[in-house]
Amino acid sequence: MNYEGHGNREIRERVIPESEVTEKIRKLKQIPVSGRCARECINIAYGFFTPLEGFMGKEEVDAVCERMTLADGTLWPIPIVLDVKEEEIRTKKIKKGDSILLTYTASSLAMMEVEDIFRLNKTKIAEAVLGTTDERHPGVRMLRGLENTFLGGKIALVNPPEFQPPFDRFWYTPRQLRKRIVENGWERVVAHQTRNVPHSGHEWLMKGAWFSANGELPVEKLKTGILVNCIIGPKRTGDYIDEAIVLCHQRLCEARYFRDDIHMVTIALWDMRYAGPREAIFHAILRTNLGCTHHMFGRDHAGVGSYYGSYDAHRIFDQIPQHKLKIKPVRVLEWWYCPICGEVTYSGLCGHSQERQKFSGTLIRSMIEDKVKPTKLIFRPEIYDKLMESAEKYGFGSPFCTEKYLAERKPVFKLPALW
Amino acid sequence: MAQGCPINIWINEERYNELQELGLANMTEDVLAGMRVLKLQCTEKQKDELLKFYPAAKFDTATTQSIELLPPETKEKMFQLVVKNKSLKVVREFLKGAKEG
Repeated sequence: MNYEGHGNREIRERVIPESEVTEKIRKLKQIPVSGRCARECINIAYGFFTPLEGFMGKEEVDAVCERMTLADGTLWPIPIVLDVKEEEIRTKKIKKGDSILLTYTASSLAMMEVEDIFRLNKTKIAEAVLGTTDERHPGVRMLRGLENTFLGGKIALVNPPEFQPPFDRFWYTPRQLRKRIVENGWERVVAHQTRNVPHSGHEWLMKGAWFSANGELPVEKLKTGILVNCIIGPKRTGDYIDEAIVLCHQRLCEARYFRDDIHMVTIALWDMRYAGPREAIFHAILRTNLGCTHHMFGRDHAGVGSYYGSYDAHRIFDQIPQHKLKIKPVRVLEWWYCPICGEVTYSGLCGHSQERQKFSGTLIRSMIEDKVKPTKLIFRPEIYDKLMESAEKYGFGSPFCTEKYLAERKPVFKLPALW
Repeated sequence: MAQGCPINIWINEERYNELQELGLANMTEDVLAGMRVLKLQCTEKQKDELLKFYPAAKFDTATTQSIELLPPETKEKMFQLVVKNKSLKVVREFLKGAKEG
């Protein structure tokens, strides 16, 4: 089994065996962490962020901002930091060299070896990573909302998360997923990053990317798969509910719009920074670690508002030397509906640009809010039905996040009580 | 076609067939892959009245330039008024009915 991840480093799980946990954490000072830090802790521990072994120290953050690398020169575009209330550090007398216990929702999460305690210039990070300091940018707001003190150092999970239905069947660690990819007989895997319920435009993006990735391989026996990797992170009112996103993607396969031997849906925990091109590189690294060989990048990938050009996330790969990244970007334009062609078609092929009808998320959302079933050329009927079923089952009647959903939804994962 | 602040009533294949039978299909605009829309005419004053009546609704100035987030059953009533009156000018009648409860 090949476990070589980003930066040519082996994907290793940093999880303390259950039998050793009680003794190791018994006397440790406890530091509660935010939801984002908990998710990133889990990612580091299972190797989603290989080669990271812990939260970054000051030197590492500076390298990421200034050179888009880790301190050792490995390509890395986004700081991964643990922010902690200064008062916690002061009152608990945390110092370099300490081992501490990170807790989340009052349960033990991970052990950390404190190697660095530092402050950061958030403005400088915003400029370098996000390309803006505008407070309207959600990544800037996230950065500004961090505490002012940061801890750097290696972590090891002490309490593996228990994923709750319906997410449990879609959760694979990188090592587990690589095993599944081999079992599937896939030699190439193209990643589709998503935070959306799939309409036909998304479906064709995936199909087009599959053709690109499959390339010159023989077609009698297919050895290229599509990995739909749904991003699970913080939600805002109006977003599609997480449950609908994963279940509707799975439904595309169950309803045979994709063959089940070339399609797989999984989840990844990640708090989007909306960093546009830099985040595209991050996504490429994440999917490298999952075992993907190709990654689809469409228009406005990981962007927001008008902070980035529509294809900045394509162009940044021109600046990355090939040996720095194992995964190949598959660059795609838009798929639209053409009333002249009478089909969903590719903007790079269809010459009827004047007559084109774009897949607008806003328009589709408006149809769904009105509970008017879209035509099957927009939304597969099975997907619409699954969306509405998910709304009833998980969304308190709505397929979109409401205040009630955000306050009362079941957690994606739980940390079991250790004692 | 629509003046001021339109209300989009989505027309899928089922609704389109209903409008066709009544000879009203030409009132619709083709928007996306066979999905059509009826744009109800709504004045600025009527928009304000609607938004007051339905606090969760909003006028989407950024993308659709229309009144959004009206309850689906409200839009269904408006659609039925279009069918009954064979006209897109139904907001005044709708508001009158809504005020009378």
